[in-house]
Formats: sequence, C-alpha cells, structure tokens
Amino acid sequence: MSVKVNVFLTTLLVGCALSVVNARYQARHLLIELERLQQHARQLDVDWDQLQLDQSRLAKNDRIEQIARSELNMAPLTPARTQYLTEGAP
Amino acid sequence: MTRGASKSGARVAASKGVAFTKSPVLAVRLPDWRSRMVLFVLFASFAALGARAVWLQGVSNQFLQSQGKSRYERTLELPATRGRILDRNGAVLATSLPVRAVWAIPEDVLASPPEKITALAKLLGMPEADIRKKLDSDRTFVYLKRQVEMPVIAEIEKLKINGLDTRKEYKRFYPQGEVVTHLVGFTNVEDKGQEGMELQHQKTLMGVPGSRRVIKDRLGHIAEDLGMFREPHQGRDLTLSVDSKLQYIAFTSIKNAVEKFNAKAGAAVVLDVHTGEVLALANYPTYNPNDRSKLTGEQLRNRVITDTFEPGSTIKPITIGLGLDTGRITPDTVFDNNPGWMTITGKRIRDTHNYGVQTVSGIIQKSSNIGAVKVSQRIPPQEMWEMYTKVGYGQAPRFGFPGATAGRVRPWKSWRPIEYANMAFGHGLSVSLLQMARSYMIFARNGDIIPLSFVKVNEEPVGQQVISPKTAAQVRTMLESVVGPQGTASKAQVAGYRIGGKTGTAEKLVNGRYSRTNNIGYFAGIGPMSKPRFIIAVMVDDPSGALRTGGSVAAPTAADLFASALRAANVPPDSSITDIIIPEVPLEESM
Repeated sequence: MSVKVNVFLTTLLVGCALSVVNARYQARHLLIELERLQQHARQLDVDWDQLQLDQSRLAKNDRIEQIARSELNMAPLTPARTQYLTEGAP
Repeated sequence: MTRGASKSGARVAASKGVAFTKSPVLAVRLPDWRSRMVLFVLFASFAALGARAVWLQGVSNQFLQSQGKSRYERTLELPATRGRILDRNGAVLATSLPVRAVWAIPEDVLASPPEKITALAKLLGMPEADIRKKLDSDRTFVYLKRQVEMPVIAEIEKLKINGLDTRKEYKRFYPQGEVVTHLVGFTNVEDKGQEGMELQHQKTLMGVPGSRRVIKDRLGHIAEDLGMFREPHQGRDLTLSVDSKLQYIAFTSIKNAVEKFNAKAGAAVVLDVHTGEVLALANYPTYNPNDRSKLTGEQLRNRVITDTFEPGSTIKPITIGLGLDTGRITPDTVFDNNPGWMTITGKRIRDTHNYGVQTVSGIIQKSSNIGAVKVSQRIPPQEMWEMYTKVGYGQAPRFGFPGATAGRVRPWKSWRPIEYANMAFGHGLSVSLLQMARSYMIFARNGDIIPLSFVKVNEEPVGQQVISPKTAAQVRTMLESVVGPQGTASKAQVAGYRIGGKTGTAEKLVNGRYSRTNNIGYFAGIGPMSKPRFIIAVMVDDPSGALRTGGSVAAPTAADLFASALRAANVPPDSSITDIIIPEVPLEESM
C-alpha cells in the first residue's frame, strides 16, 4: 500500500516538476516575443514620427506655392474675378 | 592524566619487541592543556565561521546581494522623447527623431586601415584631417560627430571599424524651417530649449527617461522581467496658436517688403481679435533652425517681441480714444492746426503740411501731430499714463515668451510739458510691435482688452473694459477713414474688404540723435471692419529706397497680408469695392 502511494506521489512530483520547467520555458519565450513586439512598436512609433515629419515637409506652404505657380500655372484669386454666393439667397 | 597513561600503556602492551617508550623522545609527556587548547581553537574557529555565515546570510546581506544582482541583472534605459510642437491645425513644427552620436577609442581606430578612415570621413561629411585631429588625443573616448542620421549610421556600421561605436540620442527637426523659427525657437545638442517656445515650455516638452531591471540570457535576450525601476515620462506635445498658412503668408509679405523697399529688416504679427491668440509672427531676416552653423544676432532677433520702438503716429488713436471716452472731445470737435506748427516751452512741433482747421476725425485721418497734441492738452497726464498702463504699454508681458520686453513708459509725475506733448504723437515712450498690436484690441473688440496667448486657446478669455463700446465704434470709423483715398494709409486698401488702421513713422536714433534719413515705418490695422477678425501690425525697419514712410512701406505690406489672410481664413468680403483708388501723391503722415 505504502509503496503504491510512494510511486504515485513520486510520479506526481516529477510530473509537477516537468510542468514547472515547461511553464518557465513558455514564459521565457513569450517574454522574448513580447520584447520583440514592443521593440517593433517603438520602431513603428519612430516611423510614424518620421512620416509626419515628411508630411509636414512636403506640405510646406513654400513648396506648394512653388509647384502651384511654376508647374500647375496657377495664380492667386482676386475678389475682382470671384463670384461670392450667399447661403440661402435666391 | 588517565587517557595519556592508558594510551602509553596500550602501546607497550601491543608491542612485543622494543617498546616505543624506550625512545627517549616519546617518553616525553605532552602537557594536558595542549590538547584541550587545540580542541578549543577548532571549536572557536567553527563557531567564528558559523557566526560569519549567519552574519552574511541573515543580517548584513545587502552588499553581497547587490553584488550578486549586478552580475546577472541588467538595467535597461527606457527612452523618453521630447514632445512635439504642433500648429493650431496639428501640422508638425518641431519633432524629435532618434539619431546616433559616433564616438571612438582613438588608439583602436587609428590602428585600422587608412582607407577605412577616409571612407568614414566621407560618410560623416567631415574633412579627414579634422577626424585625425580629433583622434590625436590621449583620452579613451572621443565624440567624432553627434546627431548623425540613421541611414548614415547603417553605412558606417558596414565599415566595421574597430574601436568605433555609436550612442543613441535624439535630434530635433523643424520641417517649416525659417518661416516660423522665431516663434518655435530651437534646442541645443543636449535637447534643451534655447529660444522661443522651445525654451519657454522646456519643462513640459522635456521627457524624463525611465529604466527597468531585467535578467538577460547568454544570447542577450531578456529572460525575466524584474519590473519597473523608474517610470519614463514622455514629453508632452505642445499645440501653439500659430496657423502655418497665415504664418507663411505673413512671412512672404514681410520678406517681399524687405526686398522691395530695400529695408534692413521687417516684422509682422497677426492676432485673433476674439481669442487673443497670436496667429502669425514673422521676422525677416531669419535663419534655418535645422542648420545654425552661420547664425548671426541679426537673424536671431525677434523684432516683434524683444525689440522696442517709439510708436510714432500709431499711438494717436489711443490718445484720441481717451479724449473721446472721457467726453472731453467728440468726433466733430474742431481744432485749429494753423499754421502747421506750434511751440511748447520753446520747442517746436510741426506737421508735414498745414492741415488748417480739422475735426478730431480729420486729425486721425491726416495724422496731424498738432491736432494730437491739442487733444492731449485737454487730458491730465495721470489719466493718459493710466490709459497706457491699461492697454499694456510699459507693462511686463504675461503671455510667456523668453526675452519679451515691457517697453518703457516713464511715470507721469516726471513728464515735462514738451515730453507729454511728444507722447501724444508717439515719441518719448517705447513699445514692442506686439504691444502695439494688442493695444488696438480695445478698438477691434468694443472697448475691452484680453491677454495674448502663444498656445491654442479653447475658450474666449474675459476682457478688461478700457473704453466704452461707443468710443471703440467711433475710433473704428476714424481708423477706416485713414485707409481710404483721403487718408495716410490709402495703400492699405484691400479689394473686397473694409480695413481700418493707422500708419506711423519713427525716426531712428542714430548716435543718440534722431536721424532724418533712417526711419521705421509701421502700420497697425484691423480687418474686416464690419466684424473684426484680425489685428495685423507690420514694421519695416530702415527702408532705403525712394519710399520710406509707414504709409508707403508698411501699409501696402499690411494690405497684402490682410488680403491673403482674410481669403485664407474664408472670411466673407464685406465690401463690394474691387477697384482700389490710390491717389497719385498719397498723403504722408508727419514724423
């Protein structure tokens, strides 16, 4: 009887020990994965900042005016050739 | 002792030949205390070891524990970036991006092949001689170049130079460059604000890096997270009141004016009448904040905020406004300006023309110095001083901008009669362009004045009443007449919009004397008059062409600025006039 209990408990103990080992292993892997993803998130943040900077650079009024004037042959509008419509008027 | 005796006895008994005790050496009996002494020393040693173990494990365990930790724990820096600076519509004006500082251990780098150093110099954009000079040092750590951008770093790492390494840092980028730099300012290489908003809001913009403790495995992966050591605090974004579009319009108008009138410098400021926000603040000459290697003081100067000038005729509406508000004059009160000059305590004050008999409205429209002096003679100096104080002249600005000037208004008790007369037309006191623009708020806003703000305001601030709404309306009518074919600011007319304003010309002080040839032209105006939206003040410093007065250099610049700004802000036109009449010889104001 006591031998059976001993065998059972030993098996249980070894089983538990192995599951602890496995859990630790999994935890480490997940942690590494988490780290990697956080790193990725930081990189994406930097990229986002970079893109916003690029957008601001490209949307610089100076540049838009240059392109509008020279490439698109646009001219600033004047009130003399603007028709203003009043909302609700017939 | 018994034990000693029995032992020797046993030896004797066991031996069958010659007894050991026959040896004279062995026959010597050792003293009893020696064995006890050995026993005691052994026990005492064990006890000491045990006590030491207990001491190290249980009581004084900090030192060894920390030593142990330092052998497997690593502290990781958690970076905190400086907050961005945005304009009112969310466009980026300043942002920080990670870059690298390249540093070297001179001895190791010098040992590498020369062609590698040549390649490195090329990548860093520095002459090779400079790099070698930096490497010629006894130190073990030398920065070669800071704030190197990431693509260059990738190239440098491909070279695989021994003893060369990089350190992470941040670089500030200003995409709008020279256009808005006088407002935004810039940071130094240590990410500290040096000028403008970067300096003013250093505390909130600045991030505080944190750190956390981890255990790393052999491959450098994090094996276990031991938790946060110090929370990082990211710098907060700052949304300014400035509107990039208006800013660009103001900047180009000023730049064109400086070039067209061959002036030394120019500045303009656009205020929102309802919120007191500074929508644009432009200076020329300017500089590129991304490349400050050739920066001069002239370029750095913020002429809107940190420079003061004598306001000249632009102050007349304030003088007249006080007269009207206290009931001492009405718009139709008549003043005799003949013969075009007057004498106060022996000093002569003159107008450019003899304007003869004029109403108060006429005095503003023609900008008569004599008329302004005659109005001021009806007002006690103390009341005038209080008026200046209420509109902010001589008062320390509270809008928060580094280096903002208070201007200078002397206490009224020390005003001599001639000085008081000079002040009526803007001499003998000094204000900044921003103070000038703000004081016009009492006319644009039905008589009250609100604080200015460089950051975005969400609700309208409560104003402080200075003059009555009726007086404000009367002065507005006069200001509008100035910007008409008969006024001094006929060149400030804008097709489609009703504009009101006042010109001013001040002679510059050169070697302590007023110069006849060097002057500054101003215009401060409100538009559109039907429903005031913007206050615009323009300054052109030392125009050296044929045109020099405020009416001929600053007024047309302001007109350009008003036309573009009102159109850009989708303000509906309030005038059907599309043809502007500017007389052949426009009226010029007195100095």
